[in-house]
Amino acid sequence: MLVSGIKSKPVYSPLRADTSGRYHWMLGVGVGAAPLLRVLAELRTLKPDALSATRVLYTPGATIDAATDVDSATSVAPAVDAGSFAAAGVAETRWFADEHSLLAACRTVLETAFMGTRLYVAGPESFIGLAMQQSLEFNLNPDEIRAEECGSRARRVWCVHCRRIAEQVTTNIVRCPGCERWLLVRDHYSRRLAAYMGVMVDAEAPGELPPIRTVFQ
Amino acid sequence: MTDGQTIAVEVSAIERVTPLIKHFTLRRAEGGPLPAFSGGSHIIVVMRTARRVNRNPYSLLGSPADLDRYEIGVRRMEDSRGGSHFLHDEVAVGDRLEIAHPVNLFPLDKRARKHLLLAGGVGITPFLAQLEDLAVGTAPYELHYSVRSPDHAAFKDRLIAGHGGHVRLYHDSAGEAIDVEGLLSAQPLGTHVYVCGPKGMIDTVIDTARACGWSMSHIHWEQFSAPPVGDAFEVFLERSQRRLSVPPDQSLLEAIEAAGVEVPYLCRGGVCGFCRTRVLDAGDGLLHHDHFLSDAEKSGGKSLMPCVSRARGKHVVLDL
Repeated sequence: MLVSGIKSKPVYSPLRADTSGRYHWMLGVGVGAAPLLRVLAELRTLKPDALSATRVLYTPGATIDAATDVDSATSVAPAVDAGSFAAAGVAETRWFADEHSLLAACRTVLETAFMGTRLYVAGPESFIGLAMQQSLEFNLNPDEIRAEECGSRARRVWCVHCRRIAEQVTTNIVRCPGCERWLLVRDHYSRRLAAYMGVMVDAEAPGELPPIRTVFQ
Repeated sequence: MTDGQTIAVEVSAIERVTPLIKHFTLRRAEGGPLPAFSGGSHIIVVMRTARRVNRNPYSLLGSPADLDRYEIGVRRMEDSRGGSHFLHDEVAVGDRLEIAHPVNLFPLDKRARKHLLLAGGVGITPFLAQLEDLAVGTAPYELHYSVRSPDHAAFKDRLIAGHGGHVRLYHDSAGEAIDVEGLLSAQPLGTHVYVCGPKGMIDTVIDTARACGWSMSHIHWEQFSAPPVGDAFEVFLERSQRRLSVPPDQSLLEAIEAAGVEVPYLCRGGVCGFCRTRVLDAGDGLLHHDHFLSDAEKSGGKSLMPCVSRARGKHVVLDL
């Protein structure tokens, strides 16, 4: 049912250190700590001086939806010890309760950052998308931002009919939270919207839905 | 691009703006507006001299909003093969020239949060047109313009009248120099740097930007190379089965064109890559003078840019 081979679907590869940068900012969510620690080890080998200009913004992993629920936001167990990043040599580590507050802090950083900045993002695809969307406002290009997908593959889905976003979608077909149409979740991705496109699935035969399956986990 | 697609223009004004630079204004010979262009575009001026046809690229320096005229600034080159000398010494108001349609190989990046323009000498020309675009935009911009001495500051009045608060002039004669590292180490995220000037200046800006951590996608430059004079050599065109002699002051591209074989081109200055030609046998070696091929491609000897590059020996075979 999903159309394959759509070019806009983001492809991620394992994070590598970018030694051409002067200032390194790392954004991590949950198990995203592991790739960040790997890049820090790589930086220590390739360009140890860079660590003093490297800073980490990390959240244990509450998603943006869950962030409205303070209990669940703080109940997520960190995937990394509090001192791991400091032990890896970074200049600063800031911990956040959820993705939302992390991204807000990142915005403040980018507003005063200089050219020469590199961004590393490790976390669920939905978070990577939001971080990339925000970085577009600052004209960060693909040669200045790198991302590795780890954790949930749940999608942000943009209803092409009413323009509402459905968060944390794990199924091939989802009911739009705005117009309540049944949407097929396509691989067609918008970097500007940080979301996959959802298109009405039963337009020709109302009520006739293909089987709904969990496909994005 | 062939001569069949050129536009006939008439020289409507010539002004000497510095000891080395003349400012030419061109209008469509049959009247009417010229093709639209964006800041950073260049045209090819076709000059039919007694000895051969020269086709030189010149940046358009007038406002992209004014299509009644094209304006170019021509620096008299010391080692010219004739193009700049022809324009300086033989062209008068009222004369007709042929030009090719404008092409932009040096565009502004419209997504930039800030534009930083660095000009050296006659490298000011593409920026004059870009400044017109920037003046009506919202992103902040700065021009840093380096010249030998006050009498070499081409278009200074136009710059100050139109963009005074955005322009800073540096005179070599007064010991003033653009602090490239100071500038590039403290620019806000999303800044793009553009440089046009002598090769040494372009290299310094690129190297300094890289040392300050800039990514390549934010660094832009343009430098047209005049085809260098070299030793005569011979070339064989495999597909057309033609053997040509290229004299010292003719480019390979010009020799091929003179033989009636067409090669697509845009800039004729080693920048755009359009005339890239496959080399079937590099013979005694190639002399690459372009800014397009990578070092690996140059040493690989499988292709060359005939607009500026030459061959060393007598057995060079091209796939033409």
